[in-house]
Amino acid sequence: MSNKAVGRKTSGLDKALRVALYTVLLVVAAFYLMPFIVMLLTSLKDVEEIRTGTLLSLPATLNFESWSKAWSSACTGGSCGGISPYFMNSFQIVLPAVAISTLVGALNGYVISLWKFRGSDFFFAAMLVGCFIPFQVILLPMAQTLGWLGIANTTSGLVFVHVVYGIAFTTLFFRNFYQSIPGELVKAARLDGAGFFTIFYRIILPVSTPIIVVTVIWQFTQIWNDFLFGVAFSGFDTQPVTVALNNLVNTSFGGKEYNVDMAAAIIAALPTLAVYVFAGKYFVRGLTAGAVKG
Amino acid sequence: MANLVIDNVKKRYGETEILKGINISIKTGEFLILVGPSGCGKSTLMNSIAGLEDVSEGRILIADKDVTYTSPKDRDIAMVFQSYALYPNMTVEQNISFGLEMRKVPKEERDVEVQRVAELLQISHLLDRKPAQLSGGQRQRVAMGRALARRPQLYLFDEPLSNLDAKLRVEMRTEIKKLHKKLGTTIVYVTHDQIEAMTLADRIAVMKDGQVQQLGTPQEIYDNPANLFVAGFMGSPAMNFIPANVVEQNGTPMLELATSTTVALPFPKPESLKDYVGKTVLLGLRPEMITEPQPHKEGQPFVTTTDIEVEVTEPMGADTMILTRVNDAEINCRSNPMYPAAAGSIIKMMFDTSKAVVFDQESGKRLDV
Repeated sequence: MSNKAVGRKTSGLDKALRVALYTVLLVVAAFYLMPFIVMLLTSLKDVEEIRTGTLLSLPATLNFESWSKAWSSACTGGSCGGISPYFMNSFQIVLPAVAISTLVGALNGYVISLWKFRGSDFFFAAMLVGCFIPFQVILLPMAQTLGWLGIANTTSGLVFVHVVYGIAFTTLFFRNFYQSIPGELVKAARLDGAGFFTIFYRIILPVSTPIIVVTVIWQFTQIWNDFLFGVAFSGFDTQPVTVALNNLVNTSFGGKEYNVDMAAAIIAALPTLAVYVFAGKYFVRGLTAGAVKG
Repeated sequence: MANLVIDNVKKRYGETEILKGINISIKTGEFLILVGPSGCGKSTLMNSIAGLEDVSEGRILIADKDVTYTSPKDRDIAMVFQSYALYPNMTVEQNISFGLEMRKVPKEERDVEVQRVAELLQISHLLDRKPAQLSGGQRQRVAMGRALARRPQLYLFDEPLSNLDAKLRVEMRTEIKKLHKKLGTTIVYVTHDQIEAMTLADRIAVMKDGQVQQLGTPQEIYDNPANLFVAGFMGSPAMNFIPANVVEQNGTPMLELATSTTVALPFPKPESLKDYVGKTVLLGLRPEMITEPQPHKEGQPFVTTTDIEVEVTEPMGADTMILTRVNDAEINCRSNPMYPAAAGSIIKMMFDTSKAVVFDQESGKRLDV
């Protein structure tokens, strides 16, 4: 009640401006959502409806047939088992790659920030360069390397590629975050009798949650959405979902099944969407924490 | 508990020598304070004792055992840091017992030890809190608790009070002193606060430019500074340095003082000034040795009463500091607050040179030793 008493008066002009502001915001939001809405609507129609109706016309009935087809029976190139096996492939690549690159990044950041050695700054600078190397540049040398290592066209090969490419970023994230941790903390732990890994595990990791969330989201999105490495280094059975999606869209017998394409595309995007919905809040928080103190 | 010997320790970073041969030996149960301006190497020396930094030359012995190349955890040392360095993810209890856990002390013993330390420092009610939920003074106590829990041979304090506000600092200072009396531990304590050094130490090592300038009891350092630097560093307000001509009167060298009149002050060890007759030396005189005329000191040797012109007065409650100019140097005098001393007036003051010291003007070397 007392709040109302001090509340400022709103004139007619203020109100009009506010309405205008919200209108603009809504229009912009709708504009950004449009592709997704079209995808969703299209995926729920059958082929006939798509041909006769407009992009934005609503489906007559909710028809999830195209979803199940995209999942389990659509043809991608030669095989006709839907994108589900590739969806699983993607998980098999993404989960270990994210876990390993995050862990290695955390260890790197820990060493560079808190266990400085002669040349550690140079080491970090060299590592940073890795953030600026375009994907295309490493395709050939990486293919060569994978061949030597005997893991070409395998899931482990793809995990390896993503770990190597991701470490530059994860190291940067963790290093910036750990810069804000006082070195005396490590000294105190050393005098208390803790060793390198004990300090990392017992003292440093427990305070790293924000930056771990950031790194996991970043790496998950990067690796899940990757197409180039997937198409270049995967075998027939180890293709990630992004490659399968491409194949699915490009494989057609007779007419194009836009509804199946759209359904498959949405399915392929769902995991990253889910990650953002569940952890997006931490992402922004963690990014700024690292950025401000770094 | 143990003794500590620092034997000719040197530390170099490339070409720069941070520690230039430090020799200090500390008895069991002694409270040693390392004091000096920033960059004098006291923190480096501390880290070297702890083993957090390697020394380039020399030896460090704890309990007569050479630990120069022993890793920090095997030196049996505990350290209290300026930032407290409490583990932010652990409760107070876990913070205190972490060192014991690392040394594989069984859980029951750890609990007993945590209780003992918590009672000693009156932090029992805080054991379940995280460091972020504590005030500065409480964090300070926990940091000390963490050091005490392990009952190490040697305690290192690295400017432990400098993050506290003035009132709390004085409180904790007393507390540390009491704790030392009670436990009789060997302590090396770094500070840049000379009052802390005076009040806490059994002995003080005054450092500058990576060298120990003087090592002695607080009173020795105060009364008998080895050189100009030590004399100027210890004491607040600082010792007055008055450039004074050495004149000979009746065959005895005296120090000439020009205020509103010119007088010659006697000096307890005139023979040390023999070679300086006709030259200028620096007379070091603490503020409390320049006072209002005190009847009971009248007629004592080395007491001279003369006129001075008051420039400014600074009442401090117990005393009033009177600023004046002597031989073109600004000096502080400590007088009774009741003594009338208006700025600009000329008043009588008593110079007591019985504890005066003299230095060479160029080298800063003490002359009367």
